[in-house]
Amino acid sequence: MAVDVRAAAGEVGRILAELDLSAVWAVDPGAGREGPADLVIRDGTIESVTWLEGADADGIEPNGVVVAPGFIDLHVHLREPGNEDAETVASGLAAAAHGGFTTVCTMPNTDPALDEPGVLALVRAAAAASGSPVELLAYGAVTAGRKGEQLAALGELGDAGVVGFSDDGAPVRSATILRNALAYAGSAGLPVVDHAEDASATDGAEANDGFVATVLGLRGWPASAEASAVARDLAILADVVRDVPGAHLHLTHLSTARALDLVRGAKAAGLPVTCDVTPHHLAFTDEWLAGARRWAWDGSGDPWGDNAIEAQPFDPSLRVNPPLRSVEDAGAVLAALLDGTADAVATDHAPHTEVDKAVEFGYAANGISGIETALGLLLAAVDAGRLPLARAIAALTSGPRAVLGSRSRRERPGLTEGAAADLVVFDRSDRWTVGADGLLSRGKNSPVLGRTLSGRVLLTVAGGRIAYEAAEG
Amino acid sequence: MNLATTDETRSSLTDLPVPAVDADPHEQDVPWRHRHVLDVDVLSAADLELVMRTADAMREVLGRPIAKVPALRGSNVTILFYEASTRTRVSFEVAAKNLSADVVNIAAATSSVAKGESLVDTIRTVEALGARMLVMRHSVSGAPYLAAEVFGGSVLNGGDGWHAHPTQALLDLYTMRQRLPGGSVEGRKVVILGDVLHSRVARSNIWSLTASGADLWLCGPSTLLRGFEAWAARGAAAGRRFHVTSSVDEALRDADVVMALRIQKERMASGLLPSLREYAARFGLTRERLALARPDALVMHPGPMNEGVEIASDVAVSAQSVITDQVTNGVAIRMALLYLLAGVRDGG
Repeated sequence: MAVDVRAAAGEVGRILAELDLSAVWAVDPGAGREGPADLVIRDGTIESVTWLEGADADGIEPNGVVVAPGFIDLHVHLREPGNEDAETVASGLAAAAHGGFTTVCTMPNTDPALDEPGVLALVRAAAAASGSPVELLAYGAVTAGRKGEQLAALGELGDAGVVGFSDDGAPVRSATILRNALAYAGSAGLPVVDHAEDASATDGAEANDGFVATVLGLRGWPASAEASAVARDLAILADVVRDVPGAHLHLTHLSTARALDLVRGAKAAGLPVTCDVTPHHLAFTDEWLAGARRWAWDGSGDPWGDNAIEAQPFDPSLRVNPPLRSVEDAGAVLAALLDGTADAVATDHAPHTEVDKAVEFGYAANGISGIETALGLLLAAVDAGRLPLARAIAALTSGPRAVLGSRSRRERPGLTEGAAADLVVFDRSDRWTVGADGLLSRGKNSPVLGRTLSGRVLLTVAGGRIAYEAAEG
Repeated sequence: MNLATTDETRSSLTDLPVPAVDADPHEQDVPWRHRHVLDVDVLSAADLELVMRTADAMREVLGRPIAKVPALRGSNVTILFYEASTRTRVSFEVAAKNLSADVVNIAAATSSVAKGESLVDTIRTVEALGARMLVMRHSVSGAPYLAAEVFGGSVLNGGDGWHAHPTQALLDLYTMRQRLPGGSVEGRKVVILGDVLHSRVARSNIWSLTASGADLWLCGPSTLLRGFEAWAARGAAAGRRFHVTSSVDEALRDADVVMALRIQKERMASGLLPSLREYAARFGLTRERLALARPDALVMHPGPMNEGVEIASDVAVSAQSVITDQVTNGVAIRMALLYLLAGVRDGG
C-alpha cells in the first residue's frame, strides 16, 4: 500500500503540518492494540486515530506500511565530546531518526567522561544546535572518569537530569562501588546500568569462547564471564533493596543463555532488575566470524560442516563487546524477548572510524554501528516467523519506556488522539540495501553493508516535528 | 567445507596434470584456482595432491647442481613479517630465489596500529613498490585475510596468530608421505603433542590430515586443549574425525608419527601450566615415551625447538627424526605454492 508521506514535506525540525495515514497497519503496544487504522495529524498533533473494522479493514495487512510510536534506544554511543570523527551528537541523532528512533539514551564514555553536569550541558547544547527533534537523554558515569575508583557526582548529575548511571564500555568492577552506586542512585530513583563482564575472565579475549573461536584461533571470551558478573550484580542488588527499596539495576546488552536465565529467576523473585538485548546478538552469531551470513535462527553452529561460508572470515566489523555468541545463546536472546525477560531491545550503537575498524580483527575497536539497521534486523526475525511484529515493536517502544519510567521529559502516550505525534512510519514491503553512503551515522562499521533488509523507514516524527523523511525513490 | 576424500575423487587424482616447473607458470595448464593461500581449509583433496606433486618436481630441482628455475623471473615477491622468524622467512626467501624471483624482505614492527602505519596502508605501499606476491606473517589471527582484501596480487600466509600456517601443514603432509611406507597418511596414527591451543601449526594440520584420512590425535595438558574436544565432536559429525586426549600413553601407543609442538614460557604467566619442569616431566617427548609408538615412528617438530622441554635432545637427532627433512621439504612446498600462484594470477 503506497502512502505518500512526502505530502508532509518539510525539513528536519519543522512541525509536521499535515499528514493523513490512510489504511495503514498501526501498532500501539502501550495500548495493547494493533490493526488497520487511519491517522490524521495536524500541526504536530495526532488529531484522530480510527481503528478500522469490517469491510474498511479488508486487505490491510501487517506486511505493508506500518505506523508505530517512535522508538526508544536505551543504549547508544554518540562519541561527542572527544571522538567526533566517529560520531557527533548531530550525526548520531540523524542516524537515530533514520532508524525510527525518537529518543536515545547516550552513554557517558566520552572524552572527557560525562561524570559531572558540565559535560552534560555540552552534550545538550550540541543536541539543541543540531536542530534534531529526537530527544537526547544521557547517563552519567558511575565513577569519576569511569576509573572505577570513586563515585562520580551522582547527586548533581541526577539533579541535572541524567536518566541513570553507567560505566559502560567496562563493568563496575568493584563490588563495593556497585553496591554504593545502586543505593545512592536508588534513593534518587535512578538505575545503575551495568555492562556485566568479569574482566578477569576476558583479558585479551576476541571472540565467543566456543567452536568457531577455536577453529579460527581467536582468544576465547567465555559466556561464564557474563553470567558470573550478572550473578554478582543480582546478589548485590538483593542486599541493597533491603535498605533502599528504590534501587534499580538495569543490565545492558545481555548475550548469553545463562545470564538471561539468572535475570529470569531474579525477576520471578521480585528483584528490581530490568535488562536489554541488542539486535546483533539476536540476529548474528559467531558463525559470522567464519564468514557465514545466515541469520542466527537459521544457524547450526558449524558453518564449515554446512558449507555455509559465503564471506571472508575475520570481518572486523563483527568485533563487539560482548562478542557475537553461539546459535544457542542467540536463541536464548530471542526467547528472552518473547517471554519478557528482556524488557527492551537496545542497539548499543557504537560508531567507529575506519582507522579504528579497518584493521586486523584482534586490533579492531569493539562495536557495531547499529541504530539504523536495528529495525531491519528485528523485522528479519519477524519475517522468519520467529518474533511477532507487535512484540518487536513493544521491545522498541513500551518496553524501554517502562525501563525509563518518568525520566523522559516527554509524554509518551503512544498513538493517542490529542498527543504530540511521536511516531515512525515504515514499509515492510519496501526492501532497502544497506550502504555506507546511505547511513547517516559517521560510523560505517556495519556487518550488514551490502545486505538487503525489509522495512524502509519512510518518516520519523519526534515530539510533533519531522526527524527523518525518506528521500524520493 | 566437506573435504572428506571420497573414492571417486581419489581415483581422479591419478591423472592430475603436474606442471613442468622449468617452464613459465602461465603456460601451464594445471587445475589450480586459488588466488591466495591463506589456510588449507579451502584446499580440496585434488588441490593437496597437486601441491604434493608440484613439490616433487621442486625436490627434483633442489637436487640439481644449480637449484634454480626461471619460473618467476622478473616477478617481485615481498616477504612481510610482523613477527620474529628465521626459519620460515629464510625458507620463503630461498624458495622465491630458486624460482628466480626478485625478493624484498620487510621486517615490520609488531604494534603497527599504535605506532604507525596501518596494515592496509603497508599493503598498498608494498604493492605500489611492485610486489606481485606477498608472503606474510602476523601475530594476529586473520590478518592475511585483511591483506588479501586490499592486495592486487596473491597473498601467501606465512603464519597468522593461532589460526593457520598452511605452508607448514603442507610440508608436514609432504614429509609424512615421503617417509611413511606406502607414501600415504591414510589410516596412519599421527599425534600432535603439546601446546595445541596456541598453535597455528596444529590447526592447519587438523584440516590437511583429516582431509587426507590420517588417524589424528591431539595430546597435551587439558588447559592447552581448550575447545578442541568440541571441534573433534563437530569434525566427527562431518566425517573429519580426530581424537583429543591428555593421556600421553594413550596418544603415543602404536603411533606412526609424533609431532611435538613448541611450548612457550609465557604460558606459565597466564596460569595455563605450573612450570616448564612439570611440563617436560609429564608431556615431554622422551626416548621412553617414544618407545610406546611404533619402532619406526617418525619424529617431527615445526621448530624452533626447546630441547629438554617438549622434546629430548636425543630424540630430536635420533634416526627416527625427520626434522631436517621438514626444513628441506619446506623449501620445495613453498616453491610449489609460489609457482602455482604465479600461474593463476596472470593466467586467470
